[in-house]
Amino acid sequence: MEYAIEATDLAKSYGEGHTRVEALKGISMAVRPGELFAIMGASGSGKTTLLMILGLVTEPTEGRVLLEGENIYNGKRFDLQRLRREKVGFIFQFANLIPFLTAKENVLLSLELIGIFGRQADSRAMELLEYLEVADRAGNLPEQLSGGERQRVAIARALANNPAIILADEPTAALDTERGLSVMRLLRKVSKDQGTAILVVTHDTRMISEVDGVIRLMDGRMVEHGDSKRQPQSQNGR
Amino acid sequence: MNLAVKDIRYHFFKFLTSTIGVGLLLMVMLTIGGIIRGIILDSSTITETTGADLWVVQKAWLGPFVEISRFPEDYYHAIQSMHGVAEASPLVMAWDHVERAMRPTQLMKFMYMNTLIGTRTMVEPGWIDMPHDSRFIVIGYEPGHIGGPPTIIAGRGIEASHYEIVADVKTGLQVGERIRLGDFDYTVVGLTRNMVGYTADPVIYASLDDAQNILFEADPDLLRNIRRRTQQQVLGAAALDPRIGGPLAQQASQIAENVSLVNAIAVKVAPGVPVDEVAQEITRWKHLEVYTAAREVNMQLMGSNRLILLQLSLFRLILLVIAGVVIGLITYTFTLDKLKEIAVLKLLGTQTRRIYAMILQQAVLMGLLGTLLGAALEFASEPYFPRRVVATRGDVVQMLIVISVIAFLASIMAIRRATKVDPRSVLGT
Ligand SMILES: Nc1ncnc2c1ncn2[C@@H]1O[C@H](COP(=O)(O)OP(=O)(O)OP(=O)(O)O)[C@@H](O)[C@H]1O
Ligand SMILES: [Mg+2]
Repeated sequence: MEYAIEATDLAKSYGEGHTRVEALKGISMAVRPGELFAIMGASGSGKTTLLMILGLVTEPTEGRVLLEGENIYNGKRFDLQRLRREKVGFIFQFANLIPFLTAKENVLLSLELIGIFGRQADSRAMELLEYLEVADRAGNLPEQLSGGERQRVAIARALANNPAIILADEPTAALDTERGLSVMRLLRKVSKDQGTAILVVTHDTRMISEVDGVIRLMDGRMVEHGDSKRQPQSQNGR
Repeated sequence: MNLAVKDIRYHFFKFLTSTIGVGLLLMVMLTIGGIIRGIILDSSTITETTGADLWVVQKAWLGPFVEISRFPEDYYHAIQSMHGVAEASPLVMAWDHVERAMRPTQLMKFMYMNTLIGTRTMVEPGWIDMPHDSRFIVIGYEPGHIGGPPTIIAGRGIEASHYEIVADVKTGLQVGERIRLGDFDYTVVGLTRNMVGYTADPVIYASLDDAQNILFEADPDLLRNIRRRTQQQVLGAAALDPRIGGPLAQQASQIAENVSLVNAIAVKVAPGVPVDEVAQEITRWKHLEVYTAAREVNMQLMGSNRLILLQLSLFRLILLVIAGVVIGLITYTFTLDKLKEIAVLKLLGTQTRRIYAMILQQAVLMGLLGTLLGAALEFASEPYFPRRVVATRGDVVQMLIVISVIAFLASIMAIRRATKVDPRSVLGT
């Protein structure tokens, strides 16, 4: 299994007839464990749609997705909800923590979903919060945390199930450059430390310094799938 | 981790206020149940506590209370000596009233005023300032026989043969107080509780002789009537021999004047003897009507209080439906406030049944806590009602079960809304 996630010839269209929107066409991409990729593109170019397909939330109209080598949308009807809670982690623009659960409980919930309870769950949750340097806020509700802290807790939650892939939709958009960068560096660290493949949708070109590569979309088509370190010109060409 | 409890902890004030609302509604439901039971108890308490199997009254008359029957007292000797009769107790029981200055509480006054809103035009002006008649039921019994006050909560029972009474606390009389009934003054020597007729009028107990004085002596018409009837009967029989006819008729009318009347005879059947058998025997032997205790209660309850019971029952049913709708609406708005969280939970891969359980648990918990709160308020308010209100622990248990089912049904609408939540809606936000 070379790739954490691999997609071939993905296409996605919404609606029928003259309201039909081709959100994605002929997308092929692959990310290895431990790699951090940015998905970039203008508004409406299909970034979120791609994330939904890779995150097992929406079926593609065409093409196939291999998650850790397993063909997901093969008509065999996987329990997508179960796969999602076991193999995928999500991070959002706003942390989207459950407001009535404390930071720690938010992480505990994700652990519970994969069947880890009790003291074991407790120590794992604290471990994750420590790793993300928010252990001292473990007992606080999301509304008592700053935006950056919230996003860190959200990352801890996304890591709880030890996922194969983490999908983040504009996680830095609501933060200032300083905090945004620190979140990106954190994701960088996470992907290296945990060996998780991470895909981050972002508009912010300043974040590119932290990523292994960029997947650039334009009107639903992929115009770039590169390694930032090997092809530094491609970003400068913007 | 229980999501329902955590959510309640977070939205505690919202949940608390909603639960108080539901609790108040359920308090009304429990109260109406208590009022219904109060009416049933009022309608049966005298019959029940007397402990008689059969009630004997004048032929074709309905019971001692629904209609006031009258017949000579000495019938009871004959009945007592019948086979299968363990005890026969002659009873006098009828309504009476005295003019007493009422001592209405502030609450009572307020309730009066409240009754008058919008209905003032229906009654004569100034009716509320007219003298109040305090109505009660006088029950006369032979000390040592059944039919007396079942419990004495203050003072003592009747001991002297004359001029002592035991009153229900609802009469407002105090131990030691003197009250004029008929032609004599009587002293309240004791108080009893919960002894009222099916009209909720409280009972005053007196010895049989006293009760006869209070209720019958003041009715010369009846005596004249009896005298004439006896005279005629004797005259008719003596028509063959006019010589003895005259004096005989006079004697007979004197006897008739001394005839003591009673309203009913309460009969206790000996153990092992079928009640019906004794009832038939009495009916056949004497020109009298016999009712079982159950029939007696039935007449007082279903004859007079049937419609008010149905009225209240329907109202209670409507309230139950309203409680269901209210819980449903509250749960629905709770769910509307949580759509985003539900979407996140779904996206994280939370089992849907766990999300629905959260909604359901909150609805049921609200119903259960509301019931307990309503029950506490109901029990606290019972003594302030002018008539007996009796809710039981059984009522509360029943309500807990019913409200669980209602809350379950009521949360279906909210759960249906939750099923429609699309986890995709969180992405891009
Ligand atoms: N549920 C839908 N029904 C119809 N069209 C849709 C739906 N979701 C997305 N689209 C369309 O698909 C295209 C891609 O949308 P998508 O949300 O993936 O864009 P995006 O790159 O995430 O944009 P943004 O940067 O604004 O978030 C857009 O033209 C959008 O209008
Ligand atoms: Mg988007």
